[in-house]
Amino acid sequence: MIKHLKIIDYALTSLGRRKYKSLAIITAFTVVVSALASILLFSRALQTEAAYILDSAPDLIVQRTVGGRHDLIPLEYSEKIKKIPGIGTVSERYWGYYYDPLTRANYTILGTDGNETPLELLEGRLPAAAGECAVGAGVAAIKRTGAGGELILVDSSNTGVLYEVVGVFRADSSLLTNDLILLPNEVVVDFFGYPPGMATDVAVQVYNKNELQTAAAKVKRLLPDSRPITKAEIVRTYEMVFNWRSGMMMTVFSAAVIAFCILAWDKATGISADEKQEIGILKAIGWDTSEVLALKFWEGLIISLTSFLLGTLAGYLHIFVFNAFLLAPVIKGWSVVFPDFHLTPHLDPYLVFTLAFLTVTPYVASTVIPAWKAAITDPETIMRG
Amino acid sequence: MDKAYISARNVRKVYNPGKPDEMVALHDISVDIPRGGMTILKGPSGSGKTSLLSAIACMSRPTEGRILIEGRDVVKLPERFLTDVRRSTFGFVFQQFHLIRNLSVRDNILLPLYPTAVMPSAMKKKSVEIMARFSLAGKENLKVKNLSGGEQQRVAIARALINDPKVIVADEPTAHLDRKLAAEFMDMLTSLCAEGGP
Ligand SMILES: Nc1ncnc2c1ncn2[C@@H]1O[C@H](COP(=O)(O)OP(=O)(O)OP(=O)(O)O)[C@@H](O)[C@H]1O
Ligand SMILES: [Mg+2]
Repeated sequence: MIKHLKIIDYALTSLGRRKYKSLAIITAFTVVVSALASILLFSRALQTEAAYILDSAPDLIVQRTVGGRHDLIPLEYSEKIKKIPGIGTVSERYWGYYYDPLTRANYTILGTDGNETPLELLEGRLPAAAGECAVGAGVAAIKRTGAGGELILVDSSNTGVLYEVVGVFRADSSLLTNDLILLPNEVVVDFFGYPPGMATDVAVQVYNKNELQTAAAKVKRLLPDSRPITKAEIVRTYEMVFNWRSGMMMTVFSAAVIAFCILAWDKATGISADEKQEIGILKAIGWDTSEVLALKFWEGLIISLTSFLLGTLAGYLHIFVFNAFLLAPVIKGWSVVFPDFHLTPHLDPYLVFTLAFLTVTPYVASTVIPAWKAAITDPETIMRG
Repeated sequence: MDKAYISARNVRKVYNPGKPDEMVALHDISVDIPRGGMTILKGPSGSGKTSLLSAIACMSRPTEGRILIEGRDVVKLPERFLTDVRRSTFGFVFQQFHLIRNLSVRDNILLPLYPTAVMPSAMKKKSVEIMARFSLAGKENLKVKNLSGGEQQRVAIARALINDPKVIVADEPTAHLDRKLAAEFMDMLTSLCAEGGP
């Protein structure tokens, strides 16, 4: 025990002796690890967000198209859909995009009938009466408001309307709720100036999920100017976005992996004459091969663990505190909808373990293995050569 | 029974055997090294002195022959045991010092004690004593590369003595010392022999 503590102590002395080299390695390594960590944390966070979005998506969304353009849907449509066998609940949705000239950002205004699903995401309560609203965390941040605060929006007749903020969505799914302004259904209708008896679209739940395609076909047959969109199609849209993005990710990811491999390879091949000589000296003055390897192991572990911790921390800060500002260009092209992209902080132990395994193991191996080659040689041979 | 503490029997050392640059450094050497005394090995450059000392001090294995330490043949010992023997028996002063140049004087001297159970406090005490004895006090934190040749040699000697070895093997230890220091060193060896040793 005491022996190993002393070997660790010497490993530290040894690294301190090569201060600049050690620092250079730690710096380079930290950069690589933080790139890896950023990408892993980022894609994991997006996956979580996507899962939330899909969880809350209805089985079927029915829109009406006029000349190929999405148009308002009459309420009789939803009455007709309700009568189709196999169809469960049918609810009209009232929503639209809202451009806020003051903050130059787009928000989604969504109507609620007061007992809708995303309730669990809320702090405070859902708006129940005219003059009340609930907002996403992003809206709250940009408009500098919060529960108990106020929000002014300009409606379709160009009048400023004041709303009281009664609830803020928790950040659990910020991608879903970030840009959201929730108002009672009637208020949304007035706000956008919808003609009476019209909704934005209709959300449909189907009893038997295997019958989704059939149900969609039935709707289409019954209402020829409707456009039923199944959950599978919604998933596909997201997948396209995510796939495109993971393509970008993979590029950056592989770049990081390659950089790391070069680093490791350089170390593995380049055990310097000095280092060899030193191993010879240690062996000649009575160190055992296993002790020399223990020393190298600790040296490698200290360097790689430090870099791993620093890099993971940097990646975490980059993604969740600095809003992935280096990866943001990738997102921005995708979404003009989100005023302020902020991912929910989340650190998956499995991910941390993977990252540690990907970085610490090869580095330690690349430190120990070449040393091992030198350490099993006769000390005399090493020192002469 | 063999009276000698260490005996070399028919030791042969071939470097790079079977290759074009094959070099036979030791041909059939047998020597006895008695207890409690000083044995001096002389020979021209390239005659194989370093090779023989390395074999005796368990730092390389002879190609043929036996090395007996207290009657026990060490040539065929597995590496772990050989290390144990080397560590508990020998202090080696190398011809080229073989110090770690950018490590402090103190750490160089203490290096053999790192992979042992000796407590750090005891190590510290020993290093203070031995540095005083070799007039290295005050230089403990200097890097070895900043020392003079003579000082470096004293560090090498101090390092060889730090684990209280039974045998000190010194390969041309006075080569880099001036006459006065060389004489001092020989005196010191003599007194070490008198103090006891094996
Ligand atoms: N690894 C090696 N490969 C080939 N030849 C070697 C090797 N090591 C030593 N030799 C040769 O073995 C011979 C004996 O070398 P050794 O170092 O033992 O001599 P020495 O008596 O100590 O000489 P010096 O007084 O110069 O130190 C020399 O000719 C040397 O060139
Ligand atoms: Mg020699």
